[in-house]
Amino acid sequence: MFIERLLNQGNAPLLEQQLKFAAARHRLIAENIANVSTPGYRQKDLDQSGFERALRERVAARRGAAPGSVRFDDIRFEPITPGGYATYHDGGNRSKEQLMSELSKNGLRHNMYAELLRRAYGSIQNALRERVT
Amino acid sequence: MFDVLDIGASGLLAQRVRMDTIAGNVLHMNTTRNERGEPVPYRRKFVVFEPTRAERGQTPGVRVAGIGEDRSPFIRRFEPSHPDADRDGYVQYPNVDLAVEMVNMLDASRAYEANITMMETTKQMLNATLRLLA
Repeated sequence: MFIERLLNQGNAPLLEQQLKFAAARHRLIAENIANVSTPGYRQKDLDQSGFERALRERVAARRGAAPGSVRFDDIRFEPITPGGYATYHDGGNRSKEQLMSELSKNGLRHNMYAELLRRAYGSIQNALRERVT
Repeated sequence: MFDVLDIGASGLLAQRVRMDTIAGNVLHMNTTRNERGEPVPYRRKFVVFEPTRAERGQTPGVRVAGIGEDRSPFIRRFEPSHPDADRDGYVQYPNVDLAVEMVNMLDASRAYEANITMMETTKQMLNATLRLLA
């Protein structure tokens, strides 16, 4: 399909995956915050560096490959249990400061990808209309 | 993405119940009788939180599993003229420590705020996603 080819080139599929990842990660951060006073609760998170590595590999594989042959939408988000913080006397490994900074970082990142994706779609729209709005 | 707001709401609800329990403890810190007028002091109460389980069909987040009673001994004070004093002149007061309640109150209100902040961020993220369509 022409439209599909148009939407799956350049940065758009990457940004889409980043958006999905940020949304999935936000859900886990929300669960962690809701359980901030639950004794023995272990934090949940997604493997950000693993995800970015997978994206990089796909981008490298896309160079020189036939258009549309490398897909981005089957990258799995691996759940991890973040460690390294102190374990508190109630058995939880939360750190509220770290949690809140992850929350705002992830939110800002999500909004940045959304804005970039909007621009990417906007330029396609401009090309289709043959007019700069 | 919209149900992330429900996760935040579960956190808010849990912290509110905790706050109500703390209010009850502070309120009854000098109550030496039960509701039938017998000289049995109030027992300190606390909430028990647990994460919800998706395999039981619960939405993700936190839930109040129950409200437990603190089984630590009552505080005994020597007040022979008190109507509820025992033969030795001691009055049993509730096992409520005001300092502990205050610390828990601060913790509950900060956790409540954290959930509010999370919901604000969620709304901003939703707005950013919705602008993709415009």
